[in-house]
Amino acid sequence: MSRPLLEVAKLTMRFGGLTAVDELSFRVEQGAIHGLIGPNGAGKTTTFNVISGFYKPTAGEVRLRGEVISGLKMSQVARRGVVRTFQHSTLFAELTVRENALVGTHMAFRPRILSALLGSDTQDRRAAQARAEEALDFFGLLALAEVMAGDLPHGHQRALGMAVALAARPEIVLLDEPFTGMNPEETREMMELMRKLRDSGVTILLVEHDMHAIMGLCDRITCMSFGKLLAEGNPQEIRNHPEVIRAYLGGARHVA
Amino acid sequence: MPRGLAWLLLALVLVALPHGLSFSQQEILVFLTINVLLVASYRLLTLTGEWSLGHVVIMGVGAYASALLSKRLGIYVPVAMLLGAGVAALVAYILSFPLFRMKGFYFLIGSFAAGEVIRLLWKRFRDPFGGPKGLKRIEGMPDLDLGVYALDFFEPITYYYFAAAVVAFCLWIMWRIERSPVGLTFHAIHWQDKLAEASGVNVRAYRTRAFVLASGFAGFSGALLAHYIGTINPNSFDVEQMVFVLTWAIVGGTATFYGPILGCIVLTVLNEIVLREMGFEQMRPLVYGLIMILSVLFLPKGLESVVQRVLSARKTG
Amino acid sequence: MAELLVQTGLNALYAAAYMSLIAVGLVLIFGVMGIINFAHGELFMLGAYVVVALYADFQVPYVLVAALGLVFVGCVGVAMEWAMFRRLRDNPLGGLVASIGFLMILQALVSMGFGVRMAHVPPVTQEVIIFSERVRLPVQRLIVILAAIGFLTALWAFLTKTRFGWALRASAQDQEAAALQGISINQTAGIAMFIGASLAGIAGALTAPLISVNPHMGHSVIVAAFIVIIVGGVGSLEGAVLAAVIYAFVHTFVTTFADGVIADVVGLLLMLVVLIIKPTGLFGTADRA
Repeated sequence: MSRPLLEVAKLTMRFGGLTAVDELSFRVEQGAIHGLIGPNGAGKTTTFNVISGFYKPTAGEVRLRGEVISGLKMSQVARRGVVRTFQHSTLFAELTVRENALVGTHMAFRPRILSALLGSDTQDRRAAQARAEEALDFFGLLALAEVMAGDLPHGHQRALGMAVALAARPEIVLLDEPFTGMNPEETREMMELMRKLRDSGVTILLVEHDMHAIMGLCDRITCMSFGKLLAEGNPQEIRNHPEVIRAYLGGARHVA
Repeated sequence: MPRGLAWLLLALVLVALPHGLSFSQQEILVFLTINVLLVASYRLLTLTGEWSLGHVVIMGVGAYASALLSKRLGIYVPVAMLLGAGVAALVAYILSFPLFRMKGFYFLIGSFAAGEVIRLLWKRFRDPFGGPKGLKRIEGMPDLDLGVYALDFFEPITYYYFAAAVVAFCLWIMWRIERSPVGLTFHAIHWQDKLAEASGVNVRAYRTRAFVLASGFAGFSGALLAHYIGTINPNSFDVEQMVFVLTWAIVGGTATFYGPILGCIVLTVLNEIVLREMGFEQMRPLVYGLIMILSVLFLPKGLESVVQRVLSARKTG
Repeated sequence: MAELLVQTGLNALYAAAYMSLIAVGLVLIFGVMGIINFAHGELFMLGAYVVVALYADFQVPYVLVAALGLVFVGCVGVAMEWAMFRRLRDNPLGGLVASIGFLMILQALVSMGFGVRMAHVPPVTQEVIIFSERVRLPVQRLIVILAAIGFLTALWAFLTKTRFGWALRASAQDQEAAALQGISINQTAGIAMFIGASLAGIAGALTAPLISVNPHMGHSVIVAAFIVIIVGGVGSLEGAVLAAVIYAFVHTFVTTFADGVIADVVGLLLMLVVLIIKPTGLFGTADRA
């Protein structure tokens, strides 16, 4: 088996006395849509936050192509090609759609004060514009480029969040509950876009609470419960896994 | 009206302006010009979303440094001014390490404390800062002999032209920075620092950059002030001055480049000229305070929002 | 030497007493309304001027004057809430600017009414408790210390034992949740403002015979109060009291054994260190930045 793109190894995260993630290990293969699922409180979002550099893990490692990236700052993780989106519509609401995407190009075209003053960065600026427009076009947002991001309808805001991530040309994007609050039609469109994104060569790791929603989308699924790994496999295996069924039923009883 | 013409007109007004004013009003005009640079640099600092209460002290660092460099080491005044700006930027860089561990309200109070410490050091150490009485007889700008005409910078009009030209250049630099990808990154950090960070932006480094740049310009404004009035002391840069800067920015509004400048000009003219002329000498702080309250209550988005409304009405109408 | 230490300790205790009255009010206002009341030092000043106006000029009995000072400054606080802070709840910077504007108005009014020079307040009591040759405690200072203890105890009882007290603490914790519980934000804000302002007022009225009363006396007080609430933790009343004691002792001892400017620097550095290491303060958990 070849070396995985992203590898989570014996990851543990404690907050005070609470163990949110407990010795979790899984691998994400290059070019896959990988789902991280589990009932509420399973520790999915915490795992996600550790991978993206939002938290430092208590123990264990996250590796990208063998390089340890856990413990780095979020911007440093992003520079290595791991770019995340946020739950809800976290955007630069007071900037235009185009400017949002331009921020996404930050890593490729690092702004410099001196060259901006002298006007010697025209080429960079043009290339950044082109890349931002490409990312917007990919998600069908180019026509809305001059609209304030805060004024977009909900579904478009979600797409813009992904466009900002795509403009960074990541190796892997981490999507945090991308379907929450979407109607079935929007969900279908979003899934189509994700497949398109994967086919363009971007690996996707997404966190989702509702496991049925992403059965048809993911190539591979990791299911966790109470911070621990419960099962891993393709959608068919996960759907029929007795532990998974019990966890979701149990989780449902907990919630009720 | 085409843009170039508008700028030309503005330049002509600025050139003609001092000739219609009394001597004391000309002096106020010089201070106003320097304060425009100060408040514009303050906006640059706030672009990343952090508000400081130490900005006027940083201005003072530039003033003290420039004054001491020219006084003690005999450095040519314009060079000393630039070095003063550099020292202010350097001090800001050092302060950024403790201060940017804080955010929001805590940054506000932390920057205030750091500024007060600097001010108390000026007070405490007679050598070289002159103690509570500060520095006196600071070298003015040396005369400049143009052959046909010798510029005497003790004249308010002459110093006004010098300051206005320099300030205009500084404003142009700040404008270029804000309109560049660097400025976009500042704005991005302001609205969503987490998302910016996830896009690979080193948020702390950019906050530091904005802080250091703004402090350099503030220090330069301090140097401009010091070599004009010739005497500075710790109380020239106390929290009351800071309150004025804060008020200019908030009354003017900080969403646009011109908002704080507008606030500075309107409030200064109101305070120094209108209220004085009306004979409100003793009641000036009272009326000024009232204006502050009324403007945040009834113009929460600042004077700039009025300008924007007028402009958009003209566009559509 | 031992005597000097005891005397300095007594001085520090007095400073801690009136500082904690001021700081607790500031914390209460910030907690309930999220507004930094820059005019708090001027409320203290106003309390002192009530004494100047009624006691020094008209010889009204001192106890009555102090009570009037408490009520009057409390009402000024309610007026501030009603006229400004109520409308600026979602705009903390606006609240800051409005309170600065109000500060300028109060200073100007007092300057116009009483002049900018130091006002003279005749001593209420000349009596001094003499412990030894070099350890003395003027009774007026003892009054300040005892009154502070009394008022803080009363405040604590009010906050923990009464319905309004509960409401106040609830809305300091979480305004929206409190509103859902049917607690009127306007009402609690008004009460918080009255209590906070009246504590500053009584502190001013009690210390007026001991300090130099002038229209700009609020400045040094507000700086110290900020240090105290940061060190104590912005959301914590108990923290404010404890930090007032710490700050007063540090400041008084450094003033006595070094000098006043160094003491100010030490105080500010103390705050900076707390901000760097634990921005929520030594005793605070609230994070409303």
